[in-house]
Amino acid sequence: MIRHRLLAAFAVATASTLLVSGCGRAESPGQTGGAAAGLSDGPATGTVTIWAQGTEGEALQDFVKPFEEANPDVQVEVTAVPWDSAQNKYQTAIAGGTTPDIGMLGSDWMPGFRSALTPVPESIDTSDVFPFALESTEFDGASYAVPWYVETRVIFYRTDLLKEAGFDDFPTDWAGLKDLAKAYQDETGAEFGISLPSGGWNAFLSNLPFAWSNGAEVINEDQTEWTLDSPQMVESLSYLNSFFEEGLADKSPDTESGSASADLVSGDVPMFLSGPWDIPGLELAGGEGFEDKFGVATIPAGPDGTSTSFAAGSNLGVFKDAENPDAAWKLIQWLSQPDVQAQWFETVNDLPAQQAAWDDEALTADPRVAVFGEQLQSVKIAPTLVSWTQVSAAADTQIEQVFRGGKSVEDALAELQSTADSLGTGQ
Amino acid sequence: MGSATTATAVSERSTRTRKVTSARRRSPSGTVLAYTALTFALVATLIPFAWMFLGSVKTEAELRQRPPTWWPQTFTWDNFAAWFGRLDIGTFFMNSVVVAVFTVLGTLVFCSMVGYALAKLDFPGKRLVFTLVLVTLMVPGVVTFVPLFVVVSKLGMVSTYPALILPFLAGPLGVFLMRQFIQDIPDSLIEAARIDGAGELRIFLRVVMPLCGPALATLAILTFLGSWNNFLWPLVVAQSEDMYTLPVALSLYSVGQNSTNYGVLLAGSVLIITPVLLLFVALQRYFIQGIAATGIK
Amino acid sequence: MTVLTRAVAPAALPRSAGHGPAAARRRRTAVVAYLFSLPFIASFAIFMVFPLISSLGMSFTDFRSTDIPTPFAVAFVGLDQYTALFQNEQFVRSMVNTLYFVGVGIPLTMAVALALAVALNGAITRFRTVFRVGFYAPVVTSIVAVAVVWRFILQPDGLLNTLLAAIGITGPDWLGSTAWSMPSMILMAVWRNMGTLMIIFLAGLQGIPQEVVEAAEVDGAGAWQRFVRVTLPMLRPTLLLGAVLLSVGYLQFFEEPFVMTKGGPLDSTLSISYFTFNQFGFGNYGTASAASYVLFVAIALLSIVQFRAFRTKE
Repeated sequence: MIRHRLLAAFAVATASTLLVSGCGRAESPGQTGGAAAGLSDGPATGTVTIWAQGTEGEALQDFVKPFEEANPDVQVEVTAVPWDSAQNKYQTAIAGGTTPDIGMLGSDWMPGFRSALTPVPESIDTSDVFPFALESTEFDGASYAVPWYVETRVIFYRTDLLKEAGFDDFPTDWAGLKDLAKAYQDETGAEFGISLPSGGWNAFLSNLPFAWSNGAEVINEDQTEWTLDSPQMVESLSYLNSFFEEGLADKSPDTESGSASADLVSGDVPMFLSGPWDIPGLELAGGEGFEDKFGVATIPAGPDGTSTSFAAGSNLGVFKDAENPDAAWKLIQWLSQPDVQAQWFETVNDLPAQQAAWDDEALTADPRVAVFGEQLQSVKIAPTLVSWTQVSAAADTQIEQVFRGGKSVEDALAELQSTADSLGTGQ
Repeated sequence: MGSATTATAVSERSTRTRKVTSARRRSPSGTVLAYTALTFALVATLIPFAWMFLGSVKTEAELRQRPPTWWPQTFTWDNFAAWFGRLDIGTFFMNSVVVAVFTVLGTLVFCSMVGYALAKLDFPGKRLVFTLVLVTLMVPGVVTFVPLFVVVSKLGMVSTYPALILPFLAGPLGVFLMRQFIQDIPDSLIEAARIDGAGELRIFLRVVMPLCGPALATLAILTFLGSWNNFLWPLVVAQSEDMYTLPVALSLYSVGQNSTNYGVLLAGSVLIITPVLLLFVALQRYFIQGIAATGIK
Repeated sequence: MTVLTRAVAPAALPRSAGHGPAAARRRRTAVVAYLFSLPFIASFAIFMVFPLISSLGMSFTDFRSTDIPTPFAVAFVGLDQYTALFQNEQFVRSMVNTLYFVGVGIPLTMAVALALAVALNGAITRFRTVFRVGFYAPVVTSIVAVAVVWRFILQPDGLLNTLLAAIGITGPDWLGSTAWSMPSMILMAVWRNMGTLMIIFLAGLQGIPQEVVEAAEVDGAGAWQRFVRVTLPMLRPTLLLGAVLLSVGYLQFFEEPFVMTKGGPLDSTLSISYFTFNQFGFGNYGTASAASYVLFVAIALLSIVQFRAFRTKE
């Protein structure tokens, strides 16, 4: 047996030497998904393997018990995977052909992974899923995963210091936000008015809500041309840059996870942009009594646009190498039911991808969650192109040069545009 | 084993006598200076550790406080409780131990064999083998990572102990290290044994190996450490939680997508490094009984 | 112990070439040598041949992550990946950074480790275990814990700057300034790696016969002269070993910036390995493989230089 496999390994090795001499890229990618398979009738059977990261992975095994009870012949095997290097783990598993049936895939991984996934069967109803979340799963007219949970970015701020700064309500436009940052600094003794990423990994992406709220776009509608140096983009980056230039934001903030929330708790920096995980995060960092001292608000709109934030989340996809795709899709179908999604929110605080789940009491009870719900009505996702991660990294470098290195916004965006053009928009 | 103990005793005695004489000769001011400098360096080296140990008994809120605190405001064992409260900790620990122990044993045997052949035996293709050792040592691991996993998965070893152990048994670092050390053993010793009619295996076991104490101790601790702290390979190879090793578990339980649980992380780190430090305390005495103590060279 | 007494007896053995019993013995030795080398040869054949060939092959193609399910449908691009690399400003930057790290880091780590080893070997007689374990402790720690702890030390209001403030110096933002980020990485690397080298050097120092040192002392050589004239030359093989191991590790330097600075600020701590890692992340497997083999050549060249420099004159 072993010897047989050894031979196979050597065969692959020799084949790869030949690779150098005789092969070539086909004209078209040729990655036709094939017709989406239908699901069998009746309950799920057999063993379903699923990998899920972090907290989700730890909680999921107990959570699927009702599914196992409803389908007595099925056994769900959850493997909790660390977030750290999770993408590498999936990638290697794809290369080695050792993927589980279901993977929990970050919405931004989809462009890289879709060639290893099977299309979603038509019998799975995704009509009520947030449209932006579906968008992250769609390639060439087919959908390759089912959105599980979503997240978006809003502004976290100190409600108690807001009064002290002389504001009754959180501002809804750019001028108001800047006034508030100044007032926090002048009236409440804050070191900086707001915390904004000035560089490093995903700094550009984290600042995109301001660009989108000003009507700027990263790429055109059908994702064929980058639009990174538009006047609206220039205007939004100049606006952000003024925070750094006027000393309202730290040019080299500590990017370590938890440091922004620590600064909000201490009052040193009473505003930052973050996602839903920072509600429990701040309650933990602030200790008892702090839960009444912070609030969340939607992104203030720019002169040329309306409040629009960045959204992402995780999708559930079934791999081509899956051994039990039928039961796998049935499990995904179960996890997508609105009531199950609401329950999942209560378990791990993940915001449901199914809009109907948002009517559940679990979600309507907390006014802060409602703000996230409101923001989710107006969000955009990152481009679903393989080249996006590279464009994004180039953008991080450029804005760092603007915010910290004093480069002009126009020059930086012009350079970024030409870099992006050379990287292209191909799948 | 009896002779080994005697050798240890003898060497320790001879080291001690030598130390006494050299210490007597040294000027008192020089000794004071040496101790002062070393103590200063030691404190500087250990400050990060002190903070890690103290941090492991702080509350999460305190760990996130700015500016950071030095002495814990409130002591808590919760971070350790989070580890021992999980039933799996025993499994992860056992996995780490099994993988590390077998990797170390295999490495010691195989690398000293290969190292001996490369250092002291003549054979056609020796240069080629040594070149391959160096190439393997020098090619960045990141580039061979995915293909290596493909090989392991084609061999059907995914999620097994062999996959965690076998690829590291005849590691180039160990071979190179042993070759360099064995090269220093005088040829005359080996030739003498040959003239006495000893076979190669006997020479290797009775002449070469006993002289490799410090090298083997060095290799053992380096290999143990590499295996004990390895994260990426076990992460990728272990496809079910019951095969996870401690570093994988540490990452799973403390590092989230957007947040880190520092208390659990620091407590876990303390738990992970303590066995290694104990192992090092146990092995370090072999570094002082060297080839010199046996009187060769 | 019998071995040792006998060791003194034979000086040089006459070597008879050609046929006869000598040739037979050489053949037997060769067979034994192959058997002894088998573990490495087998391991290399099973685990390394395919990864080496396929990754090298990949560096001559435009392989991307999306090609994994269909690995043979890629285009052969010759040396394009390599030429593109050297025209890539970021890659050139990463080479300069790596050179900086290696150029300062290796001598510094070697010097610190050697000083510690020599001090622990001869200068002191008590508390050796405490010192040895203490200086080795950083090696033991996993990088995630190192990251948390070193942030506490290096952040603007962290321990290092608090200490500097006590003696009237306003410390920089170690990780946030382009000038100080690399020195911070080097400091961490020295801290993490000096222990490994220290034990290798200790093992080497133990191999130096005390009699030789004492003979030099009788001849009236001072402590420094004894160190330079006797200890260092006799330590050559060990120094070579240490230098090669360190350069293999340091040229691939990645972990420190990965957990501390993500290669920033402004790419000031972006190493070749980090560049490669990013390219893998972007899915550019061809580019990443090419960058790795450029790094391999650099490691090999540096090692050859070291082999030359430390070669014992016989």
